[in-house]
Amino acid sequence: MRRVVHAFAVALLVFPALAHAEVRIQTYELPRGGGHPHDVAVGADGIVWYTAQRDGKLGRLDPASGKVDLVPLGRGAAPHGVVIGPDGAPWVTEGGTNAIVRVDPQTREVKSWPLPDGRGYVNLNTLTFDRRGRIWFTGQNGIYGRLDPKTGEMRVWDAPRGRGPYGIATTPEGAVYYASLAGSHIARVDLDTGAATVVDPPTKGQGARRVWSDSKGRIWVSEWNSGNVSRYDPKTNDWKTWKLPGDTPRAYAVYVDDQDMVWLSEWSANAMVRFDPRSETFATFPSDRRGANVRQILGRPGEVWAPESGADRLVVYRTK
Amino acid sequence: MRAPAAALVAAAALLAVVFVARADPVRGERVFQRCFACHSVVSGEATLPGPTLRAVLGRRAGTLPGFRFSPAMIEAGVRGLVWTRTTLDAYLADPQAYLPGTEMGMPPLTEGDDRRDVIDYLERAGR
Repeated sequence: MRRVVHAFAVALLVFPALAHAEVRIQTYELPRGGGHPHDVAVGADGIVWYTAQRDGKLGRLDPASGKVDLVPLGRGAAPHGVVIGPDGAPWVTEGGTNAIVRVDPQTREVKSWPLPDGRGYVNLNTLTFDRRGRIWFTGQNGIYGRLDPKTGEMRVWDAPRGRGPYGIATTPEGAVYYASLAGSHIARVDLDTGAATVVDPPTKGQGARRVWSDSKGRIWVSEWNSGNVSRYDPKTNDWKTWKLPGDTPRAYAVYVDDQDMVWLSEWSANAMVRFDPRSETFATFPSDRRGANVRQILGRPGEVWAPESGADRLVVYRTK
Repeated sequence: MRAPAAALVAAAALLAVVFVARADPVRGERVFQRCFACHSVVSGEATLPGPTLRAVLGRRAGTLPGFRFSPAMIEAGVRGLVWTRTTLDAYLADPQAYLPGTEMGMPPLTEGDDRRDVIDYLERAGR
């Protein structure tokens, strides 16, 4: 089922800033047995894939019709992250079965690359492709790894400070960074050796949960414990930090859109927050559902998608 | 009457033996790996994304000092939810269904044996 929320009216009631006026919000209710969306990814064709973690399935939404199809990922599945690969297919960190999974977008065939036997359960979290077509992934129990889908070769490394590796992203230049939630740092991965170099944000114990890059290769970090959004510039080694609105904000997810606007999910206010780095101002878009709990954000030009895990729906913020 | 009573006692003892025999501390610790990223049972390890589970049994939900719980968890505690073997089992079986609005992202622990063993592990770790 599809429902359009008139964001313009809502936004003007709550926040007079006209910044909201150009954003249209559309929501998509998810079916029973395929709700609780954890992560979401939208392909170049506009089709949206999401992980129905609680139900062990991958969901496919056609936003034009609102139709949702569900792909069961097998016994014990509990998928966490999803991204669209260079092959146009959704790739998944399948936390339940400790594997990287590809779902063929046409046939819906599910192919799995399990982690090495000796590794045990790693609590797979998020994945990203580098510019060589390889997948880098994180495991919250204290690992990160790499899978080459062409050869099937998988390598897994212990994270430098143990448990915590969470969000991971690739910059436009091809560098790969991940955030460590429990470790309160970000790390840059050497794509050849696999070595991770820790970069500490200025705020101690900030709880870096997710990372994303802007068009200039600067790394934006959502800080769960501190409620900050911070930006690391690898070229100058400089950090800059901003506190999100509210008394006790908690920034869960971060995504930088095609206009270099920074989107965050903020759990204390139950809202999406957009940060404009040029004016250094925030615009807040509260959810109309209690406990929406947006755990990740991803988009394509003109669209920012947010899975409301606590409200069983997907929300798109249309910016064009 | 004496014979049936004796039989009942024997059956209860047998059940207890079977339960103890089936409880598997190694397996419980292995199941705990699903919780490990956010929770600890180690004394003093209190900076993780989830509250410490050391001595969680008997604790009222949403009341551990110093931890910022979700409104849903705090309300559950106010309504009287206390973590026991029974309530933990129900929560772990489907966290979102048992406590809508919980921030815990762990998917359901569907196997009863897994829940039993991890609760055993938590019970022992809290001593």
